[in-house]
Amino acid sequence: MITLRIALNNLLASRRRTIFLGAALFLVTMFFVMMLALTGGVLDNLIRASTSISSGHLNIGGYYKSTPSDSQTIILNTSQLKQEAKEALPDAVRIVDRLRGWGKIISDQGTVQTGLNGIAIDEEREALALLELAPAKEYLENAPDPERIKGSLDELKKPGTIVIFASAAKRLKVDVGDAVTLRTETLKGQSNTAEATVAAVVRDLGLLSSWASFVPKQTVVELYQLKPDVSGAVQIWLKDIDRSEEAMNELRAHLDKKGYAQIEHDGQPFFIKLLQTVPNEDWTGAKLDVTTWEDEASFLTQIITGLRAVSFFLVLLLAVVIVIGITNTMTIAVRERTREIGTLRAIGMQRWRVLALFMIEATLLGIFAAGAGGVVGALASLLLDAAGIQLDIDAIRVVLLSDKLHLVPRLVDVVAAVLTLTAVSALAAFLPSLRAARITPVTAMQSAE
Amino acid sequence: MKASTSFVVAAFVAAVAPSAHALAVPSEAELVQMLTVVDDRQQNTGDYRSTAYLEQKERGKEDTAFEVAFYRRDADDKLMILFTKPKTEAGKGYLRLDKNLFFYDPTVGKWERRTERERIGGTNSNRQDFDESRLAVEYTPKYVGEEKLGKLDTHHLSLTAKEGADVAYPLVDLWIDKASGNILKREDKALSAKLLRTTYYPKWNKVYSESKKADVFFPAEIRIFDEVEKGNSSLIVIRDVDLKPLDANLFTKAWLESKSR
Repeated sequence: MITLRIALNNLLASRRRTIFLGAALFLVTMFFVMMLALTGGVLDNLIRASTSISSGHLNIGGYYKSTPSDSQTIILNTSQLKQEAKEALPDAVRIVDRLRGWGKIISDQGTVQTGLNGIAIDEEREALALLELAPAKEYLENAPDPERIKGSLDELKKPGTIVIFASAAKRLKVDVGDAVTLRTETLKGQSNTAEATVAAVVRDLGLLSSWASFVPKQTVVELYQLKPDVSGAVQIWLKDIDRSEEAMNELRAHLDKKGYAQIEHDGQPFFIKLLQTVPNEDWTGAKLDVTTWEDEASFLTQIITGLRAVSFFLVLLLAVVIVIGITNTMTIAVRERTREIGTLRAIGMQRWRVLALFMIEATLLGIFAAGAGGVVGALASLLLDAAGIQLDIDAIRVVLLSDKLHLVPRLVDVVAAVLTLTAVSALAAFLPSLRAARITPVTAMQSAE
Repeated sequence: MKASTSFVVAAFVAAVAPSAHALAVPSEAELVQMLTVVDDRQQNTGDYRSTAYLEQKERGKEDTAFEVAFYRRDADDKLMILFTKPKTEAGKGYLRLDKNLFFYDPTVGKWERRTERERIGGTNSNRQDFDESRLAVEYTPKYVGEEKLGKLDTHHLSLTAKEGADVAYPLVDLWIDKASGNILKREDKALSAKLLRTTYYPKWNKVYSESKKADVFFPAEIRIFDEVEKGNSSLIVIRDVDLKPLDANLFTKAWLESKSR
């Protein structure tokens, strides 16, 4: 306790040094927390976007191959599969099926390749709550009324409608109410088209929205000439998204028991398997593929890994600067306080307590400065998030998977950042503290003379 | 009086016209025969080799051009397409074996299975544009009428794909030159009946085939216009057609791989 008080007094006595080192620790911790909050925001965007646009928490997808090289992403007996999912997963809160297609949207002035999600809007209103109608300025050049918002997702109840993202509308140069042609191939490989009217243009959700659109189920059925009860995937939302992997294994085991043929679990999105893996396998017929949202968005988790790597690298760089600063300052402090150390040693303070004294000093500095940095970083993140800052640069939108700056400071991240920087501070003080502990009273007196 | 005369004339025309039309309309068997002739004139019982120049224009994109070598052995349904120019594309190729179409990219050294409807080199053309003609086998014809195409008299036929036929376009309209029996124009339509592309065959050439003991006709130039994405078009120029027997080992993955070593 006395050691703690001496350490605290020392910190207060050397106010300039404490403020200088503390400010550095404060800023680095704040930066670290904000970077972690940004990564958390991207992860949150990823979960929300992928579980709205392309996936449920769990998916029963499937492949049908009439010949080894022609694979289609369809499932048969959809209503029975929904029933199986209900039986196997009592904690499922929503089970719907979506049709999956891939084709071109063609307007008079442009073409985009897109995934066609065939949905029943009445079943999916909750899942698509994330989609916001885009103001005209986000997709029209020289819009007469830039803030005008037109259309509705509910229009998808009508046949021959389509909802597209702002980036697609921009490339197609279309507005709500304009006609487009959808072009794809039937399951037998014959060209087919459908005419559609743009029912709504919604705000981009980063990379995922670059190749997604929504149409009524019937449009996909007609384009692909599908038989009744054939769909693209059964999508399942659970009470707790963190149970996705466990639930996937349960569902796989259940389907296995019921005799459904399944492909081996491969943590890649369905379209990569459709293009690369499945066509190179020699089987024909139908096989199911149960995946989690993380599998379907695995190509995007690289963004999170990248952001984490950038945060880690920057913080590491700053930590090195801090370590050098603290080591240097402590070494000077030890030299300046040689007489004091000698006196303490002469009146009986043991070496390890001298070591502890300096270590506690650095740790206290770390706890206060990094703690304050962590709290201020978290508050700043919350404020920036609440401000809803619009991102105008496309590349940033793509990486951050949103058109708004979204930061999610998590308590666990703040604690981790504070502990890490406190540990860095303490470790930086170790060598100078060891040197202080090695000083003998005689040496201290000699240096005083 | 005038009215009753008109009525009589109209009644006569109405009565006679359908039968006159019926006389001019070829029967279904005759239409199938017409398609069979179109197919036969292009088919060769032996091997086939040619060089083709492909040019693709796409709105908003730079024009692209390739030179490819085609090898075909119709007897056992084999096809090889080898890209020879430009340098960046040289060595890439397609190989069809047992109804499977494979694509080889020497830059990654890998073979990939591709769909039969693959756009060759990203152009508007697909494998069927270069394969042997099978119109009589794959489509059911219907006679639309005699039409003028420029100065030429043509038969206009409307074709519907037969159940189970492996074709990219389920509905096709053909204009066949009455004098030469060559196709002059073709319209490919989607299942929804929307016109997707129009193809013109302005020039036909022929080569004598030893194996067939007759001339084999081939389009020397094919011009494909996209009717949905207006402004997109492809030009295919076919030359150096050679019907001599090809090397027995040519239709193998190893042969195609060796071309890029």
